[in-house]
Formats: sequence, structure tokens, C-alpha cells
Amino acid sequence: MKRRDFVKVGLAGMSAVVVGSMEIPPLFRCVARAANLAFDMSFTEALVEMIDKTQVYHWLFSADAGFATTGPSLPGPTIIATYGDKITINFTNNLPQPHGFRIVGTSIGTGVIPNVNKAPANKFTLTFTAPPPGTYLYIDPFYEPVNRILGLHGAFISLPKGGNTPYGGKTTPNVQQLFNDLGSTPQFPGDPWLPPPANRSLIWLFHQVDPWFNARAQAGIFINPDTLKAKFLPRYFLISGKTGAFASDVPNISIVGNIGEPHLIRILNAGLANHSPHLHANHFYVLSKNLVVQNNVLNIDTFTVGPLDTVDWLVPMIRPPDIPGLKSTPLRQLIPHELTTVLYTLQSPLMYPMHCHMEMSQTAAGGNYPQGLITHMIFTGDVDKVPFPV
Amino acid sequence: MAITVIPRGDVPLGQEHEFFKFVCPPTFGGGPVDAQPATIKFARKLDVMADLPLPAGVKTYNGGNSLRLWLIADPNDSSSNGATFPAKTIRTKKGDVVWVDTGFSFNTHTIHWHGIEPTPMNDGVGHTSFEVSGNFTYQFATNTAGTYIYHCHKNTVLHFIMGLYGLFVVDPPQGPKFAAANAPGAFGFDPVNFSVPIDVEAAWVPGEFDSIWNDLGHNAFMQKCDQNDPAGAGTFTQNGFLNRFRPDIVHITGVVSVPGNPITDPRVSVAAKTNQNILVRLVHAGYTVQEYTLGLDATVIGEDGHPLGVPPFDKYSFPFVIPANTPFRLTSARRYDLLLNSPNAGVFPFQVKFMDWINGTVYQTAQTTVTVV
Ligand SMILES: [Cu+2]
Ligand SMILES: [Cu+2]
Repeated sequence: MKRRDFVKVGLAGMSAVVVGSMEIPPLFRCVARAANLAFDMSFTEALVEMIDKTQVYHWLFSADAGFATTGPSLPGPTIIATYGDKITINFTNNLPQPHGFRIVGTSIGTGVIPNVNKAPANKFTLTFTAPPPGTYLYIDPFYEPVNRILGLHGAFISLPKGGNTPYGGKTTPNVQQLFNDLGSTPQFPGDPWLPPPANRSLIWLFHQVDPWFNARAQAGIFINPDTLKAKFLPRYFLISGKTGAFASDVPNISIVGNIGEPHLIRILNAGLANHSPHLHANHFYVLSKNLVVQNNVLNIDTFTVGPLDTVDWLVPMIRPPDIPGLKSTPLRQLIPHELTTVLYTLQSPLMYPMHCHMEMSQTAAGGNYPQGLITHMIFTGDVDKVPFPV
Repeated sequence: MAITVIPRGDVPLGQEHEFFKFVCPPTFGGGPVDAQPATIKFARKLDVMADLPLPAGVKTYNGGNSLRLWLIADPNDSSSNGATFPAKTIRTKKGDVVWVDTGFSFNTHTIHWHGIEPTPMNDGVGHTSFEVSGNFTYQFATNTAGTYIYHCHKNTVLHFIMGLYGLFVVDPPQGPKFAAANAPGAFGFDPVNFSVPIDVEAAWVPGEFDSIWNDLGHNAFMQKCDQNDPAGAGTFTQNGFLNRFRPDIVHITGVVSVPGNPITDPRVSVAAKTNQNILVRLVHAGYTVQEYTLGLDATVIGEDGHPLGVPPFDKYSFPFVIPANTPFRLTSARRYDLLLNSPNAGVFPFQVKFMDWINGTVYQTAQTTVTVV
């Protein structure tokens, strides 16, 4: 249920709108989970509007035939497959420079795909088998890191064939224990984690944009990779292509659910910054880092996600553990005043931020805190799934 | 052919209030809301301006000998306005219900209890609740023994680094001379209650300043409030530089480092005897990648306020050892509880490299020591 459903009390000069019923978001933005796993992608260009409406030139992957949603996007289309699937991607390079594709941490990739002026040689068909279950970043690896920084990156997800973890048989005893305990032990009342197609998995793809370099690419100026690495001064800090308020209460990025509905978060960093994402209201469990499922499953509130890192978290969505009062009393009875307080918006449902603590990332265009790398975790009801008051 | 434009989109219908609150949080006071009887109470006041004198050899960007800070004070402490940097440590016990009466000298602020997990109105984040004007009593429980921080969460990029933070320690039921731990090899380990006795406790809280930022005002480079169009292009400031952090002054736990000189101030350097249990609370309070090297083996017994391997929540994890002289890194707001114990006398160095969060440039290196006799 959306917070907008609850916005009823007016603020001077603004119209109060009540929007209808519950909306079930699609699992991911662009999904290649069609009947066949053959699809088309191309290299293209577009102007991407940042949160302040500044238009920034990008090189982008475009989702073409075979995807649920088509067209260029930042990040590129999410590709979801099952371990062992046979996948064919037909690439076309529509840009005036050579480009390519690689899944980081694997040997899966194309060679250099010639530029559009070399047509019909500007095409490449890549066939591969989906690698072991996990969260993968795909990039254009050429002129590293120039091409990926200018926008050529996306998420590739490999799902397990079975089991109750995101890793199938390729898990560790401690990760397996954690997933066995969700919903079946006193510390995790509620549901177990529900694998796809349930909406209990999210992708947070971090990226940074320094428009100065993008403008040079737009002008056709060659960008030296070493110059980019040394001088990169990003002005926008993206989470799955969005920032600030536009990233905070949206399907597929925000964590939305009742107490006791654990969520898997797949985090990827396509940029050059070292992020330090911090979650309020719950410590999370670090399941996997750079495709290594963890033996020591840390239960922490802040973690480092460096350039090209991929990290999986399990957010247990337990009731925020430091709310005073009897744990057996539902929150709707324990905190009735807070849940009915209106501070521009009703305080129900309970909303908390996840934000990067390297706080420069909380800015956009040099300020405008907190319009940067942030989203929200929203508790909509108690563990018995009775919604908080509306 | 015209180039494709991928539009930002407009504020979703019905989310106007939420977007406006995001940029311009409401103010509120009073509390506690939905009160539960407190078992311990504190008071804090924001913000007290102070000028931190810089040691010889350290200057601000424009040659100044002191650095403007914003501090959190204890109004019940008459010494030096009660303001220290970092702020006075708040110390509670596992299971406490805590009230913190929070007052504000001017402007609005919040306090976020980083790692402690209460309701949104007690979480101290303006855009998911409110900013405090006047007074507000925050209420929360401290149900897990470990190391936390508290800090202002308004225009946080600036308010945090200006000094509005302090350490928050939750002791295990055995009291402040113990740490929650599952450390079977440690001296005095209690396998029933999962604790170890602590002989010497220390806090290393390394942080940085970009002294150009210290001349800025509270609301520097914040977005304009426009109720009718909270995301209008014209509401965004364009001349800010809070995305550019180039630290020129570094400190450990408030003691400014002079390049080349190890810090000997007893607030930072550690003195212990052989075979004593030393607990160091290592807290990253800056915006660089900090790389640490310690001349002693360190067992990480807790992370971010949660003890490793202590049932039931942490039975999926276990303490781990960072061998002596092995560099390790943290990023902003992460905390390690390090258990040290040396059978040998000696002076063991601790070093922090402060590295740019993007290109890895080493801005400065600070040092101190653990002396074991
Ligand atoms: Cu926090
Ligand atoms: Cu924090």
C-alpha cells in the first residue's frame, strides 16, 4: 500500500489527493524473463534528466526485442535468468565509437563491437550459459572505466533452480541457517523469505554522474581513462537511475511490507565512489559480496560498497527492536499517537531512510540535501498483517 | 535525428506532501510520544558554536589557527558550557528505556541515534518525521550492547562533519567493565552470559574536516521550499560544493593530528599492562575511506553495535581476527569493537590513512600508540 493512499490532510495551497487501491509492482523494471531467453540489445545515446531537470548526455544500453519494457535506460535493462539457462543476446552498436559487453566476475562477454559506420559489422551475437546464482554487474569494459561511467552498465541476476535461499545449493551453512530461521524462530516472527516471483527482492544499482565528462563525450572528445579516474567529481548520486524524493517511495527500489516480511536487496556499484549505505530501523545481514556467499554473516547497519562491488543483503524487516514496550503488544496499540500524528503527512505507515553515509552522496548539483542516494523502508502493518491506521 | 530524452518525471499525483516534506521538513516539539516509563534520562543541547584551536603546524585553508565547529552540549554539565568535541558519550545498559531531553539554542536540528532502532518520530530524521524547534524528548530502548553514535541528521552532509556527533555506548547487563562477546579464547570469557571483562577501554573516532566547509551556514545549499512545486527545477540550488570534500585537517576522537607526529593525548593513546583485556571502540566519523593498521592482533567482537556470534540474533556470525600490521578499511559510520590483549610489553603503533572516497588520494596519515607495560 502506498503512502499516497493516506495523504488526506491538506497543506495550504496544495490539493489533497487520495489515490485508489493497492498496486502490485512488477518484479523488476525491465525483465528478460520471457518465454525465450534470446533478445536484442543495442548501444545508443540519450539525454537523461537529473532530479533538477538538468539534461545529461549518456551512452546507454537499449532494451529491444525480447524485453518486457523497451528503449534506452539508465541503468540498462535488468536481465534475469536461471542458473544454467542458455541465453542469446544480439547486440547492435548504433554509436560512432566501438563498444562491448562483459559480465563482471565472469568470462562472459563480447569482443570489441565496431562502430555504426562499419555496418553491418556493428553486430555481435553472444551466446552463454547463465552463471551460478548471484548478483552480477554487466558493463561495457572498454576504455575502462570510461564507457561504464558514461552509462553503459546494468544488472544481471542469476536465480537458483530451487531451495529457499538466493543461492540454491551454492550457499554456506550460516546463510542456509538464516533462511531456515526466517519465519520459524522467535527472533524472526512472520514469513520466511519468499523467492521470486514474490516481490521480496529489490535491486539497488548505485552510480555517479559528473556531467563535465558526459558533455565532453557529447562533443565527441576522447576521454582519457586516467583523467576520468583522477578528476571525477560527481554531481548526481543515483540508485537504480533515480535520486532523492524520486527514489524514496517507488516500486522496485523502496522496501515496502509488513513487519515480518524479509526482503533480499541486491546492491551493485557501477561508479567510482566508495559508498557506505546505512539502513535505519533494522540491522541487515550481509549474505554475499562479489559473488562469494559469506561464511560469517554479519548483522550490521552500514556496509562498504566500492566500485564494481556487488553485495546482497537480507533485510529481516523485524519490528524495529528498540521501540520500548511489550514486544507482544502490536504497534497499532503500542504507539497509537505516533501512528495518527500528522506532520504534513500522516506518520502511518512507518517510514525510515536507507542512505549512503558518505554524505556527499546525499547531494544533487552540489547541495539540495537529501536529493541524492537514498530510498525508504516502509512498514505498512504489524506482523499479523493488520495494516497501520490510514 | 533528435536525440532521445529520458525525462525525470513529475511529482506523482498524491505525493505532493511527501515531496514537500522531503525538502522542507515540518517542525515539532514536546514528547515523548506514546511514553513508556524511562529507566534513564539524559539532556542534550544543539548547537553550541566553538572554535577548536589548531596545534602548531596545522592551519585552515585560509591560514587560520582555529576551526569553527558546531557541537552538542550537555546542559547539566557546567564545565566549558558542557560542549566537547566529540560530544559527551551517552552510556546506557542493555534493556534501558532512555529519554533524551533535546533542546536547541537556535535554528532547527534533530538527533539520530545511529544503530539504535526506534519509531520514526524518535529516529531523528526530518523528512520522515520532523525537525525539532524548542524542545523534544526522544524515547527509545537500548536492547543490544555495543557501540553506537548519535548525530544531527539535518543537512547532514554539513551538520555531521561540523562536529554534531558523539559516542553512544550500550553496556551489557554485567556493567561497564564488560563487553558482550562470544570470544572463547579471551581471558575471563563467560560462556553462559557471553561476555568478557574489560580492563582498559578506549575510543578511536577518526574523522576529517574540509575547512572551507566550516565557514558555511546551517542551511547551506539547501533546496528552496515551494509547496506548489516541491521539485520544480527553479527550487534547486546550483552553486553548492557539498559534493566536493577535500579534507585538510584530520583528527582522532577530537584530537587534531599534526602530520608526522603520533598523537600522545591520553584521550587517544592507550596504556595497559600485559595480559589485560583492552576494548577499543573504533568508529568511522568522516567521509574518506579510512585504512587502519595496528601493531597488535585485534579480535573484532562486535560490529555496528551487534556482538558477533552472540545468540540468538547473531548465531550466523562469529568474531574474527585482524592480524597485527594487516591494513583494513572502513567507510563512514561503520564501527568495530576490537578486543586486544598483549602478552608482551611494547609500544604498538596505530595508523589511520585518510583516502579520497573516489580516487584514493591519501590526504593525511594520523598515528597513535598502544603502550603495554
Ligand atoms: Cu542511522
Ligand atoms: Cu548516521
